[in-house]
Amino acid sequence: MPESLNKNRNIVMILSVLSILSLLAYQFIDVNMKFFDYAMSIRIPRIMGILIAGICIGTASIMFQSVINNRIVTPCLLGMNSLYILIQTIVFFVFGATSIIVLNENILFIVSLVIMGVTATAIYGYLFRKTNYNVLYVLLVGTVMATFFTSISNALMRVMDPNEYDSLQDSIISSFTQVDEANIAVSFVFIILIFIAFRKEIALLDVITLGKNQAINLGVDYDKVIMKILMSVTLLIAIATSMVGPISFLGLIIANISRQLFKTYKHTYLMAGSVLVGVIILFMGQIVIEHVFSYSTVISVFINLFGGIYFLYLIMKNKGVA
Amino acid sequence: MKIVNLLKQYGEKKVVDTVSFEFPKGKVTSMIGPNGAGKSTVLNIATRLIPRDGGQVLFEGKDIKDWKNKELSKKIAILTQSNNIQMKLTVRELVSFGRFPYSGNRLTKEDWEHVDSAIKYMELEEFENRFIDQLSGGQRQRAYIAMVIAQDTEYVFLDEPTNNLDIYHSSNMMQMARRLCDELGKTVVMVLHEINFASFYSDYICAFKDGKLHTFGTVEEVMNKKVLKELYNVDFEILNMNNKPLSVFY
Amino acid sequence: MTLISVISIIEKYKENNYQKELGTIKNTYSITIFMFLMLIVLSIQSIFIGVIDISVADIFAGNFHEINILLISRLPRLLAILCTGVGMSIAGLIMQQLCMNKFVSPTTGATISSAQLGVLVCMIIAPGAGILTKTSIAFVTSILGTWSFVFFAQKMKLKDAIMMPLIGIMFGNVIGGITTYFSYKYGLMQSLNATFVGDFSLIIRGRYEIVFLVVPLIIIAYIYANQFNIVGMGENFAKNLGINPNVVMFGGLSIVALITASIVVTVGTISYLGLIVPNLVALFRGDKIRGSMLDISIFGALFTLVCDILGRVLIAPYELPIDLIIGILGSVLFIGLMFKKLSPAKKIKVKQSKKIETINVMKSGEANA
Repeated sequence: MPESLNKNRNIVMILSVLSILSLLAYQFIDVNMKFFDYAMSIRIPRIMGILIAGICIGTASIMFQSVINNRIVTPCLLGMNSLYILIQTIVFFVFGATSIIVLNENILFIVSLVIMGVTATAIYGYLFRKTNYNVLYVLLVGTVMATFFTSISNALMRVMDPNEYDSLQDSIISSFTQVDEANIAVSFVFIILIFIAFRKEIALLDVITLGKNQAINLGVDYDKVIMKILMSVTLLIAIATSMVGPISFLGLIIANISRQLFKTYKHTYLMAGSVLVGVIILFMGQIVIEHVFSYSTVISVFINLFGGIYFLYLIMKNKGVA
Repeated sequence: MKIVNLLKQYGEKKVVDTVSFEFPKGKVTSMIGPNGAGKSTVLNIATRLIPRDGGQVLFEGKDIKDWKNKELSKKIAILTQSNNIQMKLTVRELVSFGRFPYSGNRLTKEDWEHVDSAIKYMELEEFENRFIDQLSGGQRQRAYIAMVIAQDTEYVFLDEPTNNLDIYHSSNMMQMARRLCDELGKTVVMVLHEINFASFYSDYICAFKDGKLHTFGTVEEVMNKKVLKELYNVDFEILNMNNKPLSVFY
Repeated sequence: MTLISVISIIEKYKENNYQKELGTIKNTYSITIFMFLMLIVLSIQSIFIGVIDISVADIFAGNFHEINILLISRLPRLLAILCTGVGMSIAGLIMQQLCMNKFVSPTTGATISSAQLGVLVCMIIAPGAGILTKTSIAFVTSILGTWSFVFFAQKMKLKDAIMMPLIGIMFGNVIGGITTYFSYKYGLMQSLNATFVGDFSLIIRGRYEIVFLVVPLIIIAYIYANQFNIVGMGENFAKNLGINPNVVMFGGLSIVALITASIVVTVGTISYLGLIVPNLVALFRGDKIRGSMLDISIFGALFTLVCDILGRVLIAPYELPIDLIIGILGSVLFIGLMFKKLSPAKKIKVKQSKKIETINVMKSGEANA
């Protein structure tokens, strides 16, 4: 036991060092010293974006997988990020581009987050109960829901006044090169608040993985805890989506790599690992894209491409034997 | 523990229909009956795993709904048949979860003593650092029992504990249930398919049919031609073996 | 208006479905005839919806301008809608029969996304190519995509009905990812997005006729309907009846691919049509392919037409692309269908077998990991 514990600690150490190195590499590779300040003013927001994305997606994916007791599903595959975009569109639509809610980016962000937390928990909670936590149904319905949400937001966007449409595009389109700078600080505050508010439930994750019956047997108020974890997952995903845009498959990749690295059920390690792996992948990927591909593509394209293949591989591996 | 007018229905179908009885304390009680008779459902409701549609489940005079989940988990343990764990979890770690109701994630020295003695009791020492998914069905079942022992509850509920086990492991399992009662003084309640196991290893039998309680009584009261025929619609012959009724059907 | 009567049809389906459950199947021909009449009424209605008002009197009076609009834009549009509706529905039906899975369709079977990849390939290697070249390339890629998906899925001997569409969707995502990568690389993102959203508003004479390919293909499908049905029953079953399952399988999938390619090239992507229509019709008609093909064709056309009219009426004088309307209606209906499958009566059975399966999946997954 202590042996594996030490091993896990070592892996965390190595990953931390690697992620710091990749952060520094991203920050300083190829900086023209003449324009140092300018380069930093561009790179630092991106670094923040990557950190936020890594933390949110890394933790949310592990939490979600443990709740639903399945390793091939991540929240983004269920259309949570399309739901967030839909919510923002609706907020624009209802309040109009000139209202204070929409003009102040921070308020818009917070309002959308709150609506997201409530609606997503209601929708997905219902979905889980209705399908009795059957992963495959949840996944299929979730994928269809993603189309549903996207179709509605697209339809609304077409109906919108062109000016509103423009400012909506400004506010919802974000990527790693176009981080939503106004909300970096708010995001960090939110992340910290989420982890403080839900710390009790997150601590229960280890027991939750024993399955519903065992968790109840051991005295967990299962349904309540699941709802709260689900809510924190949706909020984290919403934050990530709003900062760097949708990247559906990142969570799948990093959560599974982390589970491969740490052969343990302890969520402290799994979540830390998933975050660190995510940060490393994103920094490395961004370095390659900026310096090798010179921006001719975006990182989410790669991640979704490899993520899809990885997903098929996981299904095949799990199913092929049966 | 006392069950009063329990009711559960799926749509129009009443799976459990006004069932009332009391689990005798300090004894082994088996619940038998044909498929779909509602015995597992009763067990699951009694242990708060599934919600009920009517009636009461009283534990120490108080409805289990009004108990704090955590307190209840120090008194009642339940082991169901579908335990699919896909975490990398060793036997010792699994057993240590039995102490969760007492100390949460941080176990004290005393908790670890409980864990160790449970492992010893189930003779799992040589496997204690193996991962659960590397064990055979029988060993895995023993690991779960060890967890229940570590949980240190008065009541232990087992839902079809012999499911998927071969004859050797099944009878081992049943002896284990008996020992939980005789040596550790626990009240054991199980759902069983094999009626002769029920006859040989329990003190009381609770027979269900069509969602209703058919007969509740001592082994002798239930294990007779008339009751079994009514339950299963098959002709039985009752033999006597070691002073216990043994049923044969053909 | 006419839309209200559409709702009444839906009500009628429901009613009929209940009656079926009660064991008194009504004569379904009356529904077929009713749907057909509706289709004709709505088709005529559809011709007269648009920015420029056209009246019957003007046409008979020989108003040249209005007849022109009719011939150049309105009539082609109507024909394209009908072909698309029928084509996608039948394509979905064929796939579902061949794979013996009710959730497979060109959308959930990688056909559409591979056709899109084909369109992109054509844009890159032959930018100015005509519609015929485009269709051929899209046909080749979609046939490759569909074949490899079905081959892959059959090789894995999936036991769970849900796995197949899931794999199909992911397969489609991967192909879509490749498409996005190359369209980024060649700066085609915007023009591709415009082409891919299914939209009938750009249909005018001279640019859509390839969609008529659907007509002969559907006739072929009608002729071979029984073969598809038999192959769906299983390889050995087909062999026993003296049918070469591989030939029928590849033939059927090729028809699907060709239908899809011709529609994607002319109209754009229309998701879920092939999935929803056969399933809805099966609710009142049963699963026998030949008997229901006519109903599926008519209902598919009707459904598409209604969605198109909705798209044109809702925010007139602008219009919503049909892909969005069907995306919204289609996904709601699809989820409704799924939940219907989960209804309490069947729930217990399904759940148990699922549970065991999931456990197996996980066990084997862990063992490998």
